[in-house]
Amino acid sequence: MADVNITVDGKKVAAPAGTLLIEACKSAGIEVPSFCYYPNLSLQGACRMCLVKVEKMPKLQTACTTVISEGMAVSTDTPEIHQARKSMVEMLLGNHPLDCPVCDAGGECELQDMTFAYGAAESKFIDIKNHREEQQWSPVVYFDRPRCILCYRCVRVCGEGMDVWALGVQNRGVSSVIAPNKEDHLECEECGMCIDICPVGALTSGAYRYKTRPWEMRHVGTTCTHCADGCKTTLGVRRSDTGMEIVRGDNRDKSGINGDFLCMKGRYAFDFANHEDRLTQPLIRKDGRLTPSTWEEAFELIGRRFKEIRDSAGGQAIGVVGSTRTTNEENYLLQKFARVALGTNNIDHHRTADFPALAAALRGKPEATASMRDVFKAPAMLLIGNNPTEQHPLLAWQIRNNVRLHKARLYVINSEPVKLRRQAVNFIQIPVGSEGNVARFLSGDDSAAGSISNPTATRDAWVALRDKLRGEQNLVIIFGSEIRGEDIASLVKFGSAVPSAKFVCLSDYANSRGAADMGLYPDLLPGYHPMSDAGKWRDEWGGVPQTPGLTLPQMVESAKAGNLKAFYVVGANPVGRLGIDAFSFSQRFVVVQDMFLTETALIADVVLPAANAYEKSGTVTNTCGDVQFLQKAGEITGAKSDFEMTVRIADAMGFDVSKLVPFSRGTHSDMGQSRGAQSGEVDRHGVWLEAQGLEPKMSPFDPTAILDEIQRLVPGYGVSRANLLAGNDQHTTLSGSGAGVQHDPALIAPANDTLFTSGTLGRYSRALNSVMENRQKQPAEEVAAD
Amino acid sequence: MTVLKNIAAIAKGMSITFMEMFQPTQVENYPDGPGPLKGAKFQDRFRGVHVLQRDENGLEKCVACFLCAASCPSNCIYIEAAENTAEHRVSGAERYARVYNIDYNRCIFCGYCVEACPTDAITHGHGFEIASFNASGLVYRKEQMLAPQPAHMGANAVFNHAEVASGELGVR
Repeated sequence: MADVNITVDGKKVAAPAGTLLIEACKSAGIEVPSFCYYPNLSLQGACRMCLVKVEKMPKLQTACTTVISEGMAVSTDTPEIHQARKSMVEMLLGNHPLDCPVCDAGGECELQDMTFAYGAAESKFIDIKNHREEQQWSPVVYFDRPRCILCYRCVRVCGEGMDVWALGVQNRGVSSVIAPNKEDHLECEECGMCIDICPVGALTSGAYRYKTRPWEMRHVGTTCTHCADGCKTTLGVRRSDTGMEIVRGDNRDKSGINGDFLCMKGRYAFDFANHEDRLTQPLIRKDGRLTPSTWEEAFELIGRRFKEIRDSAGGQAIGVVGSTRTTNEENYLLQKFARVALGTNNIDHHRTADFPALAAALRGKPEATASMRDVFKAPAMLLIGNNPTEQHPLLAWQIRNNVRLHKARLYVINSEPVKLRRQAVNFIQIPVGSEGNVARFLSGDDSAAGSISNPTATRDAWVALRDKLRGEQNLVIIFGSEIRGEDIASLVKFGSAVPSAKFVCLSDYANSRGAADMGLYPDLLPGYHPMSDAGKWRDEWGGVPQTPGLTLPQMVESAKAGNLKAFYVVGANPVGRLGIDAFSFSQRFVVVQDMFLTETALIADVVLPAANAYEKSGTVTNTCGDVQFLQKAGEITGAKSDFEMTVRIADAMGFDVSKLVPFSRGTHSDMGQSRGAQSGEVDRHGVWLEAQGLEPKMSPFDPTAILDEIQRLVPGYGVSRANLLAGNDQHTTLSGSGAGVQHDPALIAPANDTLFTSGTLGRYSRALNSVMENRQKQPAEEVAAD
Repeated sequence: MTVLKNIAAIAKGMSITFMEMFQPTQVENYPDGPGPLKGAKFQDRFRGVHVLQRDENGLEKCVACFLCAASCPSNCIYIEAAENTAEHRVSGAERYARVYNIDYNRCIFCGYCVEACPTDAITHGHGFEIASFNASGLVYRKEQMLAPQPAHMGANAVFNHAEVASGELGVR
C-alpha cells in the first residue's frame, strides 16, 4: 500500500495508510503524550492527553484514535493544545493523592512526567478528595484506588493481551472504578502485566512494595532463568551486606523477545537468590556430617579423589550430571571437562525434550526452526501437545497476540482442553498419549487415524485438517515433549510438504536447549555430533573417549553395582526430580554444586555453593534456539559460578586448565564476571586497563574464551557477537548439526511445571509459594468462561 | 623613594594591628563557656548535624522517599525502607525508614537534603563537634539523629544535637 503523506509541525511524514496519527508522529520523532493509548491494545480515547490540532477540523482531535489521511496538516504543540493538556492534568490531579513520596511509582510515573511537562501546579478544585483505602487483590497485586486515572490499560492488557479478563470497570463516569473478578481479590495468572502497564501507582507490586525507589537501583537487563522461553527481564539491584541484592524484576526494557510481556516467574520469582537457605560456604562430609569448610580444602579433596578414581578405575568410573539452568559456556565446559580431564563420556542431564531427534530430522534443512519472534508473525500455527499457557507463558502470549493482531490461524491438538483452544480456528481433543499417532497421521500414515478418531473428530475431519494444514504457507509447527524420537521424524516429514514450515520443540527449563546443544549427552558431542564424528573435537581437544558413556539411569545402576565410584552433579537435583534412589550412591564420592541443600546435595560428600543465572554472565539458548546474553545482576558473598568451580576442580586435579579454557586465544574481552563490584557493566575499566597496557588478558574463569570456542565449533552458534553482547536475541539453526542418534524416549522426563512452579528452584521463591498458598485457600477456576 | 614607600606601607599596616589591640574582644568563649554549647553561638541558619524530626504525635516524619539521598551531591545518605503495620507504626505514612544513615565523612553540609525533603523530616541542627579519630564512628545512624519523643504532645521544637547529647533536653 502506498504511504500517506502528512505534515506534522511543518515536518513531512510518510506512513502506511491506516496508521494512527500518534504512531505517525512518533515515527517522525514527535512525542504526543497519552495515558490510555498503548501500542497493540484496542483504542480507548479516555484520557484526552493526546489532543492535537488538525487543520480544517473545528476542534482538537485525539491523535490516538485518528487515522492519518493524505495531506493532513497537524500541529502537536500550540498554546491551545498546551492549555488543553494542562487542564487534563489538573482534572486528573483533582482526585489524585499527592503521596508521591511514598508511592512506589514515584520517579517512573507518567502522571508525574506530565505534571512536570504541562504543570498544573495550582489546583482550582476545592472539593474533598474521594479517599479509599488501599486493597490487596492477591499476594502480588495491590490496588490504590484514588491514584487510578482510569486509563483502562490494565483492563485491556488483562483481557485482550492475556485472555484472562480478570479486571473490569464498575460504575460510570467519575465514580468508575477498576475492580477485580472476585469481589475483593483477583483470580488470575498473576502475570503482573497490569502493574507494569499502569502509568501511575494505582496498581503496585507486592514483591517490590516500599522496598526502594527506581533511581536507587541499578537496572540490569538479563534473561529469565525459569521456563525455556527466555524472556528478557530487567532486574533492579541494590547494594546490600552480602553483595548485590535483587529487589525488583520487571520489564521496563521492551527490546527483548518478550516485548511487553513478562509472567509471574520472570517478574517476582527472583527472590530465591536472596533466600536465607542459600549456601555460602563449601560443605565437606566429616564423620557423616556436612561441615562448613574452606574452598581450598574442598577443591583439594575433590581434585585428589577424582584423580585417584580416574587413575585407578578409569574415567568410566565417574559420572557427571549437568544442569538445564547453567549457561551454555558452563555446559560446554562441563562436558569438555568430563571428556578431556576425567576421560569419560558418562555425562547426562535432565532431558525434557528430544532435541537430538529434531536435529537429526532437520539436518540440511536451513530455515526450518522458528524463533520466538517468528511465532508472533506466522500466518498459521499448529500446536500439538503441551499447555503453553502454563508451561510457556511467552509462547502462549505470542500465539494469542498473533491471532488477535495478525488474524493468524491456530490449530490446536491436545489431550486436554487447553486455554489456547479459545484462540484456535480448530481444536481437536485426542486421547492422552496419542500425540505420536497424530504426527504419524499427518505425515501420511492413514492407519494412525483410527486411534485418534472419535465422534467429535471423525476420520474425515482429520483428513480435512491435514489437507488444510498442507495448504498453509509459513506454518509454524509447535510440539511438546509428548512427541519424541520417530514421531519427530514423521512430523518433520509432514512439515516438508508444507511450504516454508518451521518447527519449535518445547523443552522445560531455561537452558534445556543449551544443555542439549552443548552436548550434555553420553553419546553426543556439542552440536549433536555422534562419537563416530568426533573429528574436529579430537583435533581441538587432543583426544575424546571413543565409546559412548552411560545415561543417567545407567549411571545409577552402575553405582549400585559398584562400578561407578564418583558422581559429579552440577546444578541439578536428580534425586529430587527424577526419583533416583539416593542409596545407590551411599558408598560413592558425590560432589554437588548447587545453591541450596537439595535432596541430591544432602547425599553429597562435598557441596559447593553455586551462583545462579542472575549472578553471572554468559549465554543461554531458549527452546526455539534463540541465544541471549545473561548480564550479571545480583551477587552473594560466598558463592562462585559453576564455571569457576569446574575450572578449579580441573586445576586441583593437576590438569592444565589452558587445555580446558583456551584463555589466551580469541577475543580479548571480559564479560565483566571477574571484576568485583563493578562487574556486570560493560567493561569500562577494562578499556582503561587496556590503554595502560595493564589488561590482564583473559583469566581461565572468563567464559568468553569458551564462547569463542562454541561459536567456532558448534554448528548454528556462529551468530553475531556484537548483537549478542548488545543484549539482542540471535537465532541458531539446527541445519548444520551432526547426525544425532536415536534415544530411548523414556529418558525424557517432562518437568510438568505450571505458571507457579519452577522445578527445584521454585520451592525457594517466596512469591511463588505465597501465590500457591493463596490458591489453595481459594481454588481458581479457569478465568472468564468461554 | 621605594624605601620610604615601604616604610609607610608597614606603618599603615601595623597601625591597624595596634588599633585592633585596644578594641574589645569579639571572640566567643568557646570551649570554656557555660552550657552544653560551651559558649559557642550560632545563627539560626547554621547547618550542623542533621536532626530527624517527629510529628505532633511523636511519629517519625520521614517516610523513606529517598529524595534526600537522591539530591545528596556527596552521596552520603543511605536508607532502607520498610512498611508500617498497624502493630508497628513508626511514621505517619505507609512507609518508614528502617535504616537511615548519614556518613559524616562525606557530608558537606550543603543542605540540599533539607531542601528536598517533602515532609520536613530532615533538618539541620546545631551540632558541630563531630570530629573524631575513628572514621567508622562518623556514620551516624537514625537513632543518633532522631529527635527525642516530645515530652508533651504538640511540641515539635527543633532540637539541638549538643543539648540532646548532654541529656538536658527531651525525655525518652
